[in-house]
Parts: sequence; C-alpha cells; structure tokens
Amino acid sequence: MASEPSTAPAPPAAARNGGAILATEELTKHFGGIFAVDRASLSVREGSITALIGPNGAGKTTFFNVVTGFYRPDGGAATFQGRPILGRPPHRIAQLGMVRTFQITKALARMPVIDNMLLAAPDQPGEHLLGLLLRPGASRRREREIRDRAMELLAVFNLERLADEYAGTLSGGQRKLLELARALMTRPRLLLLDEPMAGINPTLGRRLLDHMQRLRAEEGVTFLFIEHDMEVVMNHSDRVIVMAEGRVIADGTPDEVRADQSVIDAYLGSGTVRDAESEASPVAGGGPRDS
Amino acid sequence: MEAGTLSPSRELTPAERLRGWANRNPALAASAFLGVVVVVLVASKGLYDVAQVGLNGLSLGAVYALGAVGLTLVYAILRLVNFAHGDFLTFGAYMAYLVNVTWGLPLILGIFFAMATTALLGIFLERVMWGPMRTRGAGVLQLILMSIGLALVIRYVIQYIWSTDIRFLDVNVTDTVNFLGLRIGQTKLIVVVVGIVVLVAIGLMLRYTLLGKRMRALSDNLELAETAGIDTSRVILWTWIFAGGLAGLAGVMAAMTTDIRPELGFELLVIIFAAVVLGGIGDAFGALAAGLVLGVVIEWSTLVIDARWKTFVGFVILIIALVIRPQGIFGKSRAI
Amino acid sequence: MTELPFDPLFAVTFESLTSIGFWTSVGILAGTFTIFTLGLQMNVGYTGIINFGQAGFMAVGAYSMAILTTGGPDGDGLINFWLSLPLAVLITIAFGLLVGLPSLRLRADYFAIATIAAAEAVRLFALNARDLTGGNQGLIGFGDEWDSVSRTIEGWLQDLGWSDPETLFPLLIVVWITAAILTVALRFIQDTPWGRVLRAIREDEDAARALGKNPLSYKLQSLSIAGTTGAIAGFFLALNLNFVNPTEFEPIVTFTGMGILILGGLANYYGVAVGSLIFWTLFEGLRFIELPLEEQQVAALRFIIVGLALILLMAFRPQGLFGKREEMVLGE
Repeated sequence: MASEPSTAPAPPAAARNGGAILATEELTKHFGGIFAVDRASLSVREGSITALIGPNGAGKTTFFNVVTGFYRPDGGAATFQGRPILGRPPHRIAQLGMVRTFQITKALARMPVIDNMLLAAPDQPGEHLLGLLLRPGASRRREREIRDRAMELLAVFNLERLADEYAGTLSGGQRKLLELARALMTRPRLLLLDEPMAGINPTLGRRLLDHMQRLRAEEGVTFLFIEHDMEVVMNHSDRVIVMAEGRVIADGTPDEVRADQSVIDAYLGSGTVRDAESEASPVAGGGPRDS
Repeated sequence: MEAGTLSPSRELTPAERLRGWANRNPALAASAFLGVVVVVLVASKGLYDVAQVGLNGLSLGAVYALGAVGLTLVYAILRLVNFAHGDFLTFGAYMAYLVNVTWGLPLILGIFFAMATTALLGIFLERVMWGPMRTRGAGVLQLILMSIGLALVIRYVIQYIWSTDIRFLDVNVTDTVNFLGLRIGQTKLIVVVVGIVVLVAIGLMLRYTLLGKRMRALSDNLELAETAGIDTSRVILWTWIFAGGLAGLAGVMAAMTTDIRPELGFELLVIIFAAVVLGGIGDAFGALAAGLVLGVVIEWSTLVIDARWKTFVGFVILIIALVIRPQGIFGKSRAI
Repeated sequence: MTELPFDPLFAVTFESLTSIGFWTSVGILAGTFTIFTLGLQMNVGYTGIINFGQAGFMAVGAYSMAILTTGGPDGDGLINFWLSLPLAVLITIAFGLLVGLPSLRLRADYFAIATIAAAEAVRLFALNARDLTGGNQGLIGFGDEWDSVSRTIEGWLQDLGWSDPETLFPLLIVVWITAAILTVALRFIQDTPWGRVLRAIREDEDAARALGKNPLSYKLQSLSIAGTTGAIAGFFLALNLNFVNPTEFEPIVTFTGMGILILGGLANYYGVAVGSLIFWTLFEGLRFIELPLEEQQVAALRFIIVGLALILLMAFRPQGLFGKREEMVLGE
C-alpha cells in the first residue's frame, strides 16, 4: 500500500484510442442561450504537450470545467484513457489521473504551503478514519514519504524555504507555481493547466517548461495547457488545438496552426498569431471570465 | 456511445421523463400535485369539509405570506437570513396589545401602531447593526449568529416586560360569518381580507412603482445597482420599512386569530422559512403564493391526522422543499 | 427552555453560592455542554458547515437511550442501559446521515435552515408521539444502572475521606473525564491527514475536489462525529435530570452551544471547555445577584444577556478568546 504508484507510461487504453488519452466528441455546454462549448470534438495524444489556444471567450476554461466534471455537460461524450467520464464527479476524475489547475489560483490560503502539497498526494491511508485507526503505522510511513517528495517538488519551483508559511502570504506568481507543484503531487497522467505562465517571471517559466518536458520524457505525463503567450505555445508544444466561439477550429502542429487561415481570422480583433516571433504579453490571471 | 456519457443512448423511462418535465415547468408541476391532493381530499372527506378547512387555512396562510414576503425581501436585497424576523412578528403583536388592551383603544389603531413601531425597529437595527456589519464585510456565519442573538434579545425583553402569561387582543372570537355557504370566524375573515389586500398592494408596488423597480434591481445585483446611480441606502431603508411593517401586521393578525405569547414569532418562523424557500428565496411573489398555499395545506392536514401534528407537518414540508427543490417552485437556481 | 435543566428545588440564596451542590451542578452543565459543543467545533470551526441541529442530535441520543432502556412510557424495560448507549449513538449517526445526505450539498445558510428544521422536527415528534416518547410528560426510569455506579463512586469518595459526598459528584467526575477524552481524541484526529482534508474543504471545496477529495463524504463524517458528541451530551443531560422531555431540546440549546463555541474561539478544541465553564458559571451565577425582580424576569434577563453577548462577540471579537484570526471562518 505504501509503494509508489507505477511511473511507467502508456497503459493499454492509449493503444485502443489511437494514442489519445483524452478524447471528446460533440461536447456541448450552454448557459441560457449561449453555447460556451459548441459540439467540440478533439483528442489529446498521450505523452504530448498540447496547447489549447483561442481568443477570449472561446470556451477554453469552460471546456476544462466540463471535462473535469465541474460543470454538467449538455451534450456530447468524453473519454479519458478509454473510459467514459462525462457526468462523473470532479473528485473521481481527479482520482482517475486527470488533474486540473485553475485560472484564478486556488491555493489554500489559510493552510501552510507544505500542507497544500501533502494534501494532494494520492493513496493516503491516513485520510480515512478507518485507515487511521487500523493502520497507524502505514499512515505515518506514507506521511513521511510524501513529505520528502513534497519538499523535492517545492525545490524545483524555488518554494522550499516557504514550506511553513501560510499559502496566503505568497505572491501571485508563487501561488501559481504552488498550484502547479501541488497538481504534480497527485501523480497525474494528464495535467490540464489553465494559463500556467501568467504572472511568472521568464526564468522561472523556463524552469517550469523544462520540468514539463522532463516529466513527459521520464514518466509519460501528458500536458494540455491553455495559454495566451504565443512564444510558449509555438516553441514548447507538440500540438496546438484552437478554439473559437465554443468550437474547435484547428488542430495540428504549431506551424500548421500558425498558417491556418481560419485561425488567423478568429484572432483578428484580439491580437494576432504572428506575435509568436515577438514578445507577447501574457495575460495576467483573472482576466476574462472564459478564456 | 458507452454508458456514462450524456447523449441518451436509450429511451428515458417514464419516471425520468416526468421528472424532466417537472424540472422545466415547476409551477405547473406544483399546481398539478396540489390538484391531485385536493381531489383525493375531496373524494375522501367531502367538498364542504375541504373548503371549510381550506378557508380557515387562508387566515393562517395570510400570516405566513405577510411574514414570508418581508423575510424574502430582506434576503433578496441584503443577503441576510434574518432569524430575528419571527420576533418582529412577536413585537408587532405585543405593540398591538399595548394599544388595544392596555390603553383600551380600537384595534385598528393597534394595527397601525404595530406596523409603525416594527418598521421603526427595523430601521433602527439597520442603522445600528446591519449597516455597520455590512460595511465591515461580515460573513455569513457572523450575520446569522448576530440575527440569532437579536432574536433572543427581542423575545426575552418582551418576556421580561410582559412575562410568559398568555394574552389576548380585544377581538371578537365567537361571531361567525357566512361566506359562500361556509362559516368563518368574523375575525379570521377580516384577517384574510386585510391580508390579501395588503399583499396585493405590495405586489403592485414591487411591479409598478419606481421604488419597486429599484428594489428588484438591487436584489438582482447590488453593486450594479449602485453603479447605475440608484440610492441604495434609501432602497435598503424602504426594504426594512416594508419588512418591519409586514411583520408587525402579520404578528397582529396571528394574535387576532390565536393568542399572544413570547414564543409566537419564533414558532411561526420555521413555516415562514418554508414559504420563503418554496417560493424561491428572494422572490416576493413566490413567498406570497407559497405562504397562502402552505397555510391552506397545513390546515388540510388536520383532516387526515390529529391537529397537534400541524407544526410538525410544516417542518416536514420545509425539509422536503429543501431537499427536492431548494431554489423553490418559482426560483432561479440560486441555492446551490 | 425557559427554565433550566436544574433541580428546581434548589434554594436561590447567597449562601448557595458557596455550596458544593451548586458548583457541582454548574460543573455538570459545563461538562455536558463542552461535549455538546465539541461537535459544533468540528462542524463549524474545522469543516465550515453551520450545524444548527445539534440539539436534535442530543434529543435523538437521549430519547433513543431512554426508549431502549425503558421500552417507552408504558414499558417494562427493554435493553440493558449500558448496551443502549452505543445503540443510541448508532441511531443518532444514522439520523445524522439521513439529514446530511440530502442537505449537505446545499449552501451554508440553507444547510443551517435545514438542520434547525430537522432538530425541531425531532422535538415535535417527541412531543406528539406520546405512545413512544411520553409526549410532554417525557420518560423516566432509565437511570437505575447508573445510580448503582454512582453510589459505588460515592463509596470510593468516602474511602478517600469525604464523609458525605455530594450526590451528583460522581456524575461530575464522569462527565469531565468523558469531555477530556473526547477533546483529546478530536484534537488527535484533527492533526491527521484526515483533518487536513477537512480543513481544505473548509477552505475551498473545489480545490479539494480537483485534488481527488470527496467533500460530501468528509462532511458526512464530520456531521456524524458531531452527532456522536451530541448524543453523548444527551445521555449526560438525561442522567442529570433523571428524565427526558421535549423542552430540554429547544433551539435555544443549540444557540447556547454556538455562543459557547464563539466565546472559546473557533478552531480550538481546548477553548470549548473554557468557554463552557465561563458561560455556565456566569449564567448560573447571575441567579444570585439580588435584584428587585421577579424570578421570571431574572430568567428572561439571563437570556437577554446571552443574546447581547452573541451580538457583541460577533461584532467586536468574532474569534472569541482563543481563536486565531487567520483561522477564522467567519470573515468569508
């Protein structure tokens, strides 16, 4: 029970789905008469680093919310690792290995940073009353293991000296890193990151991206991230999926997408894709309701 | 597609279809349910009994409706679950007692005095307590506990002054009147008529006057209303005037048809909560309708079970309402 | 309750202020309410759910014990008293799950209304289901086994040198031992990974969900624990009075618990005992202040003061005596 979950990538389900760890078909979510997500069909390849982009209001965060169970869908289907997931509660989906972060960070402010991290670790017998009573030794051992791992992860993001501080005292950028570190503690198979670069200085951002690449290479973790910083999107992702007005309008390599006319049209009016070359200003967290 | 997805891959069962229809047409579903209840009752007890008991229930319903409209307005505009609202009713009842019995003046003066003083109480508390707490950004728990403390203070000050002795207003409780072939106590009839008139007036006020429109604007979105230039503090003041006035009236009417005790208001409060929840919290028209219906339904329950279970029935209805449809029959999904 | 769960034959004079009997009674009340409020602390202080139905749990526990032991108002005895205790706790937990399952998904203020409605429903049921609960006559006669234990403890006290021990003193001892055990136990599970999840849920449910935790399950567990302490408090209340009766379980009891909770401070189990002792000492002590008032008015005055204290505490010191400002749930 105290052994670490397997880090070997590629469960058989990936082969069944043609390598897709997450696939949606005609996914739909509307509020009143407004279709925030409108028959979106896409698939995310296992082991890829995929960017989800689109102008404001395209439905990207809503898509995240529906697929992770935070919103009830109004139509369509979605599978994760070959298993249908629509209609399941968010905590079950997280337990299955699809973990998301939030656009406006949800660092648990009145808990210490280290507690934020320890909370996220999976398979803790101490989190169940019966486990506490019947297996106190296993509970304590696991606690020590995850504490070590938590400190390692915090070190990756330069946060280890803040371990005992209340998370609420961290800066905005530090909180975003904490949320990312915390998500990594869960040992996810697919990580959905909502604007991970927002508010983070470039050096640390670079570190983050390197860590993502390493995780993908060593442990086969898949990343799907919403991003507005085109430099990051174009230079650090394998695939780019573009949404506009709730629909998926393009899906391909960064080069393919950059040249796609419909993508260029969608962006006309809210900045251009050609800013990939120049320094695009990242949107600070807490901007549009729906990215 | 496989099971667990949302596109229906099989036909919905009749039960599921009914449920879906009920969710989309709640008012219709509630009326249909009520209709079934009426049919069953009439079939088993006879039209006369059902109508007679129902008419009696209207006087109770008027009290509930008046109390519920005030409570729901306060919630709509101030987001405050006011546990002290019941004691506003008690306060009104005792104020009427003061005028009508202690000073020996006509009841009508007692009614006005009760409404005025309760409204003043509401304004006073807004100035001294609720306003400052809102400015300080008090949270849900803080406000709820304060309203409970307030409820205790009002009730026990009343008890301090008037003791726990049961008192009665100087009203005619014996004479009955013939109404459409049914008998109803003279006083109860007055209560029903006055109640309905006042409720209609409030409804018209909310719908058609400038103040009413402003109140509805604030209840939708306080910040937006402020930026639109509405004088929110004035509207809030009027909210407490209405809430207090209606509560005071409800208290007097309860006193007219039953008796006066310090617990009067708190005992009515839970059913008033039920009316507020059933009508959709924040929805004055819903509270009005739900209050009247609840009064009638609870009275009807005495046809089937012993009268001492009346209040229990009210609680069960509240619990069911919270469980099945916390946003109320008419409400928008605000509860969850 | 407009009169207190207190022996009404007790003389109200200044000499009584120094009597062992008086302080024993205060101590028992304080201990009972410590146990009662520990559950509220778990719910409100550590889980962020506003449980206004704690008096209902107390009622279910006390009545279950009494009915199981006596077999009802016309009963001849049913189950052994000691066996009825764990059974009554299980019944209370079942009741808590029944109430919690549908209502815990509601928003905080709705949950408060739902729990108070459930508690009042219990009280009204107890009042009206006369054949089962004795109606407003209540139930008596369940305390025989406890009485023999109590006399045994009195014997020990005599052996220790106290020639004429106060009758209720054994109950005082047992109440406080129980309160101490429960306080330590709750403190213990609060410091575990389980407690950590609870705090996270209080902080931000969605964040907890995104990390694979099921808020409903934990809230139900928290409510069940509160139900357990409520039931145990109910046992002690029943043994203290030697009878159970619906008026002992009116909402004022829960409100008193809330007041004690706030006084001691949120998110602090040890503070509960302190808050309870201070409250009951003052509340009972007020009996002795000689005012030119009737007894009824003195009773009313005490509740006025409780209400005022709640208002003032909420306005000016919501963290109470020992609460930490950072841990305060109230500001959100």
